[in-house]
Amino acid sequence: MNRLGDFLRQRAASGTIALADAREAAATFRRPLPEIEEQALHLNIMPLRYLRNGLRCQEQLSLVQARVGIIGCGGLGGTVAALLARLGIGRLRLVDPDCFEEHNLNRQRFATIDSLGRPKTESARRAISSINPAVVVEAVVRPFTEADIEAVDIVVDGLDDAGKRLELAAHCTNLDRPLVHGAVRDWHGQTGVATARNRLIATLYPNVREDSASKPPVNVLAPTVTVIAAIQAAETCKLILGVDSPLGRNWMLCDLLEDVFEHIPA
Amino acid sequence: MQVTVKLFAFFRDGRFKEEGREYPAGTVVGDVVDELGIGRDEVGVVMINSLQRSLESPIGDGDVVAIFPVIGGG
Repeated sequence: MNRLGDFLRQRAASGTIALADAREAAATFRRPLPEIEEQALHLNIMPLRYLRNGLRCQEQLSLVQARVGIIGCGGLGGTVAALLARLGIGRLRLVDPDCFEEHNLNRQRFATIDSLGRPKTESARRAISSINPAVVVEAVVRPFTEADIEAVDIVVDGLDDAGKRLELAAHCTNLDRPLVHGAVRDWHGQTGVATARNRLIATLYPNVREDSASKPPVNVLAPTVTVIAAIQAAETCKLILGVDSPLGRNWMLCDLLEDVFEHIPA
Repeated sequence: MQVTVKLFAFFRDGRFKEEGREYPAGTVVGDVVDELGIGRDEVGVVMINSLQRSLESPIGDGDVVAIFPVIGGG
């Protein structure tokens, strides 16, 4: 460890370390890149890619050490995954049983002509490795289970079915994990942080049960998905950093036709 | 009785954002939803005077009723 520490200190310029130097350290000391960058942060050395996050090394270390589960990796989930990777969330568990289809191309972050027919989570994992190779991504190609929730600290709701959302919220309540909710339709979206205390998902879907039949897919525009996913990513980051948020006490409705954001008490 | 009805998101399409409307005594929130041509299974949160209520909740003169749609896509 001392030799690694000496190496990192030697390569650190102005308190930052470049990816090429971190990769050289990984090869020299036979350690994974995420471990090298985590060690650098312990030494108050910021990986260069996080410089413009504007966080202190201790705060960035909190993000790097966090484990976030993204349940549903389509519109909301895919965009949240890309944003969390750029923020530097260290471990992402992406769970989705589906493959990309042509009608996903209008709004889903990792849906491309080349990814059609491929599992959404696998495509996301590949793409994220080129956004941020220091993020460990687990791509899970099946419906979510309670074990997926148990494996993470915070859960992001990227589902498109109210009954499944209730099931997910039940797991999160049982395991005391905050659930960063988002949902979209047309020009409208909603978001909030569900906890065992506020029972937000039951509030938002009062006439739905876990075994309710799925509704037909709804229309969704890419800007709506991007706005709501961005708020979900911000809320996730704030939860990790311990930053107080109005969305811990309220849910928010977003109307992109009127450009209005309204807070409603949870 | 006079009731203020507020609609949110796509419930406003072809209707209104906020409107004063007359209803007979004994009206419940579900009656307002029906009268506006909104499917009950499309309704998520409903509030009377900023407190969450259900479709079966009675409304009174001067109440403000807010009706939000289920938004479920991802």
